[in-house]
Amino acid sequence: MEARIREMLKQVVGEENYTENLIDMVSFSYDASEHSHRPGCGLWVQTAGQVSEILEMANREGIPVIPRGAGTGLSGMAVPIQGGIVLDLNHMNKILEISIEDRLAVVQPGVVYADLERALAPYGFFFPPDPASGTVSTLGGNVATNAGGLKGAKYGTTRDYVLGLEVVLPDGRIMKTGSRTMKSVSGFDLARLFVGSEGTLGVVTEITLKINPRPTATSAALATFDDLEDAGRAISQIMYSGIIPSALEILGRHTLEAINQNTDLRLPEVDAMLLAETDGYTLEETSYQIEKVIEVFEKNHPKEIKRAETEKEKEALWAARKSAYAVLARIKTNFVLEDVTVPMQRIAELLKGIEAISQKHQIQIATFGHAGDGNLHPQILYDGYDPEEVKRMERASADLFNLAVDLGGTLTGEHGIGLSKAPFMTLEHDPVAMDVMRKVKRMLDPNNILNPGKMALDPVSSG
Amino acid sequence: MEMHGYKMPEDLYYEENHFWVKEEGDLLVMGMDDFAQIMAGEIVYVQLPDEGKRIKAGKKFAKLESGKWLGKVFGPVNGELAAVNEELETNPSLINDDCYGKGWMYKIRPDDKGELANLIHGPEAVENWLLADIEKYAK
Amino acid sequence: MEAKYDFEKKFREQILQCSRCGFCQAVCPVFGATLRPAYNARGKMLLLKEVMDHKIPLDDALIETLFQCTTCASCAENCPSGVNVPEIIKQVRKDMVHIGSCHPAFKGMDAILKEKTNIYGEEEQESFGRDKNTRAEIVFFVGCVGLYREEESTEATLDLLDRLDVDYTLIDEVCCSGVLEDVGYEINRDLARKNMDRILATGAKTVVTGCPYCSRTFNTKTQYSPLRDKGIRILHVSQFLKDFDFGVTTDKRVTYHDPCDLGRHCGIYEEPRETIRKIAPNFVEMAHHHADSLCCGAGGGVRGAYPKNSIAMARRRLLEAEEIGAEVVLTDCNSCVHNLANAKLRKQKFRIYNTTQFINELMEEAE
Repeated sequence: MEARIREMLKQVVGEENYTENLIDMVSFSYDASEHSHRPGCGLWVQTAGQVSEILEMANREGIPVIPRGAGTGLSGMAVPIQGGIVLDLNHMNKILEISIEDRLAVVQPGVVYADLERALAPYGFFFPPDPASGTVSTLGGNVATNAGGLKGAKYGTTRDYVLGLEVVLPDGRIMKTGSRTMKSVSGFDLARLFVGSEGTLGVVTEITLKINPRPTATSAALATFDDLEDAGRAISQIMYSGIIPSALEILGRHTLEAINQNTDLRLPEVDAMLLAETDGYTLEETSYQIEKVIEVFEKNHPKEIKRAETEKEKEALWAARKSAYAVLARIKTNFVLEDVTVPMQRIAELLKGIEAISQKHQIQIATFGHAGDGNLHPQILYDGYDPEEVKRMERASADLFNLAVDLGGTLTGEHGIGLSKAPFMTLEHDPVAMDVMRKVKRMLDPNNILNPGKMALDPVSSG
Repeated sequence: MEMHGYKMPEDLYYEENHFWVKEEGDLLVMGMDDFAQIMAGEIVYVQLPDEGKRIKAGKKFAKLESGKWLGKVFGPVNGELAAVNEELETNPSLINDDCYGKGWMYKIRPDDKGELANLIHGPEAVENWLLADIEKYAK
Repeated sequence: MEAKYDFEKKFREQILQCSRCGFCQAVCPVFGATLRPAYNARGKMLLLKEVMDHKIPLDDALIETLFQCTTCASCAENCPSGVNVPEIIKQVRKDMVHIGSCHPAFKGMDAILKEKTNIYGEEEQESFGRDKNTRAEIVFFVGCVGLYREEESTEATLDLLDRLDVDYTLIDEVCCSGVLEDVGYEINRDLARKNMDRILATGAKTVVTGCPYCSRTFNTKTQYSPLRDKGIRILHVSQFLKDFDFGVTTDKRVTYHDPCDLGRHCGIYEEPRETIRKIAPNFVEMAHHHADSLCCGAGGGVRGAYPKNSIAMARRRLLEAEEIGAEVVLTDCNSCVHNLANAKLRKQKFRIYNTTQFINELMEEAE
């Protein structure tokens, strides 16, 4: 960082909130993806006003700014690939308001998802998306990636709950958009544009979220299958049950083996396991629902079906599911976690296709994911120090994206494009759509300073 | 007033364990002197007893700590603890930053202000005492 | 690439297993108090990976984070990828000391223990007026924090042992020096020998310690194996008191803070609670307890090297006591008592004690 810029930034945030210290630079180089790059400096900000001053200056000077929450993104959104300023928003971590009557909560971007849940619990309310990273990820990050989670099929994703935002635009202007009402169609839906924009269009400094009353009863069941295709078909047919389960997850063989190594759960090591949950307000109701789901399982040659009875059992199963990808990381030195999503009726084909890709490239791929909304997480495991294996991983990755798009699906259900999937954007999006996306980016960020190099938005990195 | 590298204001009274005392209306204000503050290093904890606590001359009534050292605070006179500097609860290093000003520690309601005469006072007395301690702690 | 350092030789695979998931951020007390990712377990693993990949050197620049870890093991407890961060950190510190790169506070600690008998370098010891070095069934080993920073608590504990007619003696104890192993050095063999000689001279078959760090050191370190080989049983006082009846109770709202050295490091969660439930029927848990307990911030040498952050961590823990309306916070480690007591704000009206001190106070009041 130039001395002049350094001084300006220190003036804005204070000496103690500016860093070029090696230990911070290393931390800020990484998120949870395979990518890394050194930034020029890191800043901890406390107010939207500070963010505004910083962006205004960066815009003038042409310095990249990369907003960062917990840094648990899986596609490289928070990696400062062109250097510049990492804007750490974790100090802005206050829950500003909870209004049960208005059915909303107003939070700063650095509030950890789990902390919001803790604050809502005494009211009997919750914020539904439930991302697996919820114990550490921040709401700013959840908004930036339109985070989904285990409850996606029934409750939707973050976008479905954002009522309004305060955003600092790349030129430094602070914009308030959206409303505190349950619905509004007043002007363009700008808030929705920023949700999932991965920090490329603006820095979110305040979020107004719709919240839900929390159903008090749940029923859960698990079903095992000796044939992946049977499990896939069971998932595709779930709509025929007439029920939308509050969660429907799949765990493949590798995943089950890895979980067993890390916990005392002793899950059966079969080709596929489905975990289902239904929720409501009485056990009678949730029981009725889960039985309907079980009927669908039964039509597809399950090996075994079990109801999870106690709270403890249920919690253990969901905890195991949430840590699946990190548990699998024990197997090889590196991994790439994919996020391909297809229409529900193509799930069985996707599962089979993943198997075939694994065979073809002689590379281990573990599978688990949100079967309930067609979002699988194939995890490619490889030795990052073996250049041959790295190449095989890259080829397998490419095949996976092609497969998903061929099945009418999308590259990413919830992890975002970031760096990891940027080269494949044009697989999924036609030239008109890409052009419109790039024009919107240009319009808001003509100097391309806000999180540049991501999402194939740069005209040069067209992929 | 600079004295052998330490700031030791002339008008203050000094308790031999390196606490300064001065009059403020009916009360006496006390704190740590520059010599002690430098020797101790950054203060990380100051005990702030409840108001009303009985203070006995020459007896320990509170403690404080730096990273490496535990220090005792001794009563300079007989009296009652009237007030404490609550800022020190979350910002104990005020003692290092400004030991005679913002880093004041306690206010005492003395039984008899005359007891101030028992403390070290006046440039010659202070200098002799300081030099002796500089030598003592140099070992 | 040839492994240059011992930490690489022993832990390379584990460090590579770190999936960068960041789940450790949810439980790391240093991160919780400072929100600085470089201090978090993930931040440390990223640095070590870059050292192993020869991208950055292992040197002074890394001291600030590699020596700022209470070794509470909350990260290891929660790591889905199986990375035992505290063990890796302890080994890295040894490598760093070996190349001359160490936090001055710890270098100072090693030096002080070569000349003095305790980590504070104190010359004078509080006299507890008890027998020392006499023949008895039990040696009560206090520990440095109890002798030089929490004398009131130690006095009360000894009073309690007296009330219970325990046949014990004190010894001219010196620092168990277990902490040195965790901050890049090694247990001081001289001090270890002195402790063992003096313990054996009493003819005692059991050593009861006031400090869980000491009991863990005596029980697990090779330098103290002569003690164990002679069949000496080593217990922490919370284990020792489990089967006693005190005949006193309180109706105050009491909670218990699990010290890392008793809980996560030794799996001792229930004995202290059994004792407390006997005397305090109105017992409540804080939000984080048992294996999830929040570290008080004093361990791993952090109180000596980074006192401000150490106290900030303790303050965070005390918020949980405030949240549940506790009137009394009990714990079984003098280090925890010390740090928590320093961190307590005047407006927080609960009181912090070692369990033994509290029981003694109740028995005193009952008289």
